Amino acid sequence: MLRIALRTMRFRKGGFAATFIALFFGAALVMACGGLLETGVRTDVAPQRYAATDVVVTGDQTYAPPPTDPEDDAESEPLPERVRLDASVVGTIRGVPGVALAEGDVSFPVGLVRAGRVVDSAPLGHSWASGRLAPYTLGAGAQPGPGEVVLDRTMAGANAIAVGDRVDLLARGTTGTFRVSGIAEPPAAVTGTPAVFFAGADADRLAARPGSVDAVGVLAAPGVDAGQLAERIGAALRGQPVTISTGNDRGTAEFPEAPRGSEGLIALAGVIGGFAILVAIFVVAGTLGLSIQHRHRELALLRAIGTTPRQLRRMVLTEAFTVAVLATALACVPGVLLGGWILDRLAGLGAVPALVVFHQGWLPMIVGTGVGLLTSLVAGLMAARRAGRTRPVEALSDAATQRRWLGPMRLLFAVLGFAGGLALAIVTVTVFDGSIAASTAGPTVMVWAVALAMIAPGLTKVVGALLRPVLRGVGGNAGYLAMLNAKARTVRLAAAVTPIMFSVGIATAMIYLQTTLADAEREAYTRNLRADVVLASTTGGLPTDLVDQVRRVPGVAGASEFVTSTGFVDGDTESVPLQGVSADGAEQTTSIRLTGGTLADLRGDGVAVPAELGVSVGDSMRIRLGDGASVPLRVVALFAGDPGYPRILLPAELLVSHTTNGLPAQIMVRAGAGVDPAALRAALRELTADRPGVAVADRDAMTAAYVRELQVGASVNYLLVGLIMMYTAISVVNTLVMATSRRRRELGLQRLTGSTRGQVLRMMTLEAILVAAVGILLGTLVSTTTLVPFSLAATDSVWPSGPLWIYGAVVGVATVLTVAATLLPAWFATRGRPAEAAAGPE
Amino acid sequence: MQTEDVVRLESVHKTYGDKRHRVEALRGVTIGLPRGSFTAVMGPSGSGKSTFLHCAAGLDRPTSGSVRLAERELTGLGETALTKLRRERVGFVFQSFNLLPALTVQQNITLPLRLAGKRADRALVADVISRVGLADRRKHLPAELSGGQQQRVAIARALVTRPAVIFADEPTGALDTRTARDVLDLLRSAVRVHGQTVVMVTHDPVAASYADRVVFLADGQLVGELRNPAPDAVAERMTHLGAWADHTPVRALGA
Repeated sequence: MLRIALRTMRFRKGGFAATFIALFFGAALVMACGGLLETGVRTDVAPQRYAATDVVVTGDQTYAPPPTDPEDDAESEPLPERVRLDASVVGTIRGVPGVALAEGDVSFPVGLVRAGRVVDSAPLGHSWASGRLAPYTLGAGAQPGPGEVVLDRTMAGANAIAVGDRVDLLARGTTGTFRVSGIAEPPAAVTGTPAVFFAGADADRLAARPGSVDAVGVLAAPGVDAGQLAERIGAALRGQPVTISTGNDRGTAEFPEAPRGSEGLIALAGVIGGFAILVAIFVVAGTLGLSIQHRHRELALLRAIGTTPRQLRRMVLTEAFTVAVLATALACVPGVLLGGWILDRLAGLGAVPALVVFHQGWLPMIVGTGVGLLTSLVAGLMAARRAGRTRPVEALSDAATQRRWLGPMRLLFAVLGFAGGLALAIVTVTVFDGSIAASTAGPTVMVWAVALAMIAPGLTKVVGALLRPVLRGVGGNAGYLAMLNAKARTVRLAAAVTPIMFSVGIATAMIYLQTTLADAEREAYTRNLRADVVLASTTGGLPTDLVDQVRRVPGVAGASEFVTSTGFVDGDTESVPLQGVSADGAEQTTSIRLTGGTLADLRGDGVAVPAELGVSVGDSMRIRLGDGASVPLRVVALFAGDPGYPRILLPAELLVSHTTNGLPAQIMVRAGAGVDPAALRAALRELTADRPGVAVADRDAMTAAYVRELQVGASVNYLLVGLIMMYTAISVVNTLVMATSRRRRELGLQRLTGSTRGQVLRMMTLEAILVAAVGILLGTLVSTTTLVPFSLAATDSVWPSGPLWIYGAVVGVATVLTVAATLLPAWFATRGRPAEAAAGPE
Repeated sequence: MQTEDVVRLESVHKTYGDKRHRVEALRGVTIGLPRGSFTAVMGPSGSGKSTFLHCAAGLDRPTSGSVRLAERELTGLGETALTKLRRERVGFVFQSFNLLPALTVQQNITLPLRLAGKRADRALVADVISRVGLADRRKHLPAELSGGQQQRVAIARALVTRPAVIFADEPTGALDTRTARDVLDLLRSAVRVHGQTVVMVTHDPVAASYADRVVFLADGQLVGELRNPAPDAVAERMTHLGAWADHTPVRALGA
């Protein structure tokens, strides 16, 4: 059977090209997603300023909530803020045998100030001693003394600064003047953030975190193995919550924010990969199905002369599998390239830390190949079942009669799909709310699409029957013929309709999901934003005395520092957004509805929580803050929670001391009654005129900034939708070209019976429009089943929000693609003399 | 020897379609086809010729009645068992689309053997190929052959398994008179020289005259037969059966 299958395939390369293309791109997409998944799981970040170290010691950057089931392994959550080490650790490590050098490192944002404005806010400040961990070498000048700095060459070059110059540097909200004592050459490993090196005492003062270091970099003595040294250091620090990293883990130690970015990467890769597999299965099943229909007489002949149904099924499976092996093997190269490309785009959009190194080992390759083969197996089985049912008598007859399309398997999967889709929709509406509802939406699209794909021939028949009169009315003779053709070959039509349904359904659902979600979040944001003017830091945070000065400005009704972080209610595994506010201005600048207590008490160890948490004013509770510290708190206020957007309010000074920067990033200001916000803004501008690094913005500017932030998420989504759309578009074209090219003989016959070429092409156009219309209708149905429950959950409205033109564009692209992919092969098929085409092979 | 029936149909009925569109294609056909005989089945369009062939060859199942083929009762056999029986005991020659376009002449001929998992007997294959006169075309693809040559390949494929019976459905329908004669000669010599049994459905009196016996079907029933027929006699009999002028083969349901 293998030899017959191989010979057939060599003979009918064209028929298998479509399957090959679908599998090739599908496997490449799955491999790329596998690579992204591996990248996300590993989160390999190359160390930069710690490139020369052998071992890096940091605080434990994870929080392991107590497992709900004692049998379970504790799952650890990454902490959002830098967990610092006690400076005494440096001394302990220096005492470990085999340590050649151990240096504590601190980092803090530094802004370069010129003419009262921050012109470069990218650099980080460090002590000169930590420069040896990279190592930076002095290219010019000398190492910094007190009041002096060494700039790295990138920064010095970009700002035209030379040794001996005086520079104004902003750190922790205050500006100081330093003399440039030298220019440092960064090693090749350093590609990112520019560095400013201070003398040790200056660095400690500016970082303002006495007695603690961010990390300790360790260089091993010659001949000492890094792994062994790490073990010895671990032994010396036993009992302390530290993480000891070697190799590539040093990068994660240097950039603790990287793992959080990659969690999103894992989810993204999962979603695209899942869609790709699903689309691939249906498209491959469709192309294999078409190729079987196209040679059904051949299969019938095989049956007549003694091929058992089993042998026939095996032959079809062998064919599918052989194509799959070729396609997946060839897909390896583009798979890797595509994965790297997607990661670059994601990093460019800011969705993933740019430092994360793309990683594609053998595992994603194996998985991608396996998925490709499995896809072809599933699709091949679907096609083979149909092939096996070929009746031998069909070899004797010319009539290509349609057979029953709804087998028990199709029915079973359709019923399962509808049940699952309905269940998901109900769950979305009833259980979830707010942004979390999006997590059930992706699966809902997939499940509905599968269910509809299963009964696509039937739906095509029904929708086609509804549209046919229109076609006939509008299209004249060509419409009449197109109508008859569509009626006679619903099952073949369905093969083309399915990928169109997929692409329209997925695109519409994913895009409007995004716009609806963004609208809901923007609305929640503006609802909660009661400030008229906001002071925001451009570099490293606002000075702590600023809020009092702001309060003294005439026209200010209230001002509150605003700090954001993430933490956990102790014992919970689900993280919750934390907001730090000042007790004096919180009532005026936050929009929450209090149900008990007062925000004026939000000082010291006070906390305000949603009433839904089930605690009362005066109760004690513990909250684990962003740096992993668990603090005992006293409930001073309760408020009505915003469903889907949970948060906990803490005193700003408490929360800010547990953040990486240690300073508030914003101050919210409320204008007094009758005070013009514009005038207030001007007054605050004047107040902060001598404070570089403070920006004064109004409500609109704030909302605009928030929307820009949301757009990062949206762009990522659009990138994904784009990829899936590309893939389904390839499939649409693929299937249509295959289906149309096969009709060369039929079109030739039609011309022999008197149709002009124009009439034939007109008929094909109308057929294509019918196919597109059915596909678009069904796709819209798929997206509706997802969007309506989601909108109900997220915005309490039946309709998703978002511009209508996007839907128009999706519909337009789908139509143009369908018509083009039908007309082009039809044009080729009707070239030359009709008699030749009519006499040609079927 | 002459009296032993290779194929025996016993009051075979075949009905197509659902309750509203009921077509009775065969209504109680009883006939035996002796070993080493060459039988032509004739009848006007819609008389049930093709259905008769399908039922006798195990391609289709009768609604009622019994079919015995090479001492096996076909009624009640599953699809796979029927297929295996066809593969081992039956050869087929169709009007058109007889060959797999991807396989060479030789591969097409040995296909039934390969499907049965048997090794092709080289001498036998070579003999069969030379008997149909295609020794120099063994490596050719069907598309490179004329219609008559393709039909000869089909006959070779039918012969190679040494089947109990060969069924031919309008084997000359798509051929010109001269090539048709070659093909019919081949079938006749298979019967005369090699003792093969052949059943041929045709509407051509000249083709039918190559057979030892012609049976006539009308409205799903056997209505007579001729032994050692001459073309004129066959044509004469067909005229009486009516509808002779309309000899376009209608192959929709119930043909």
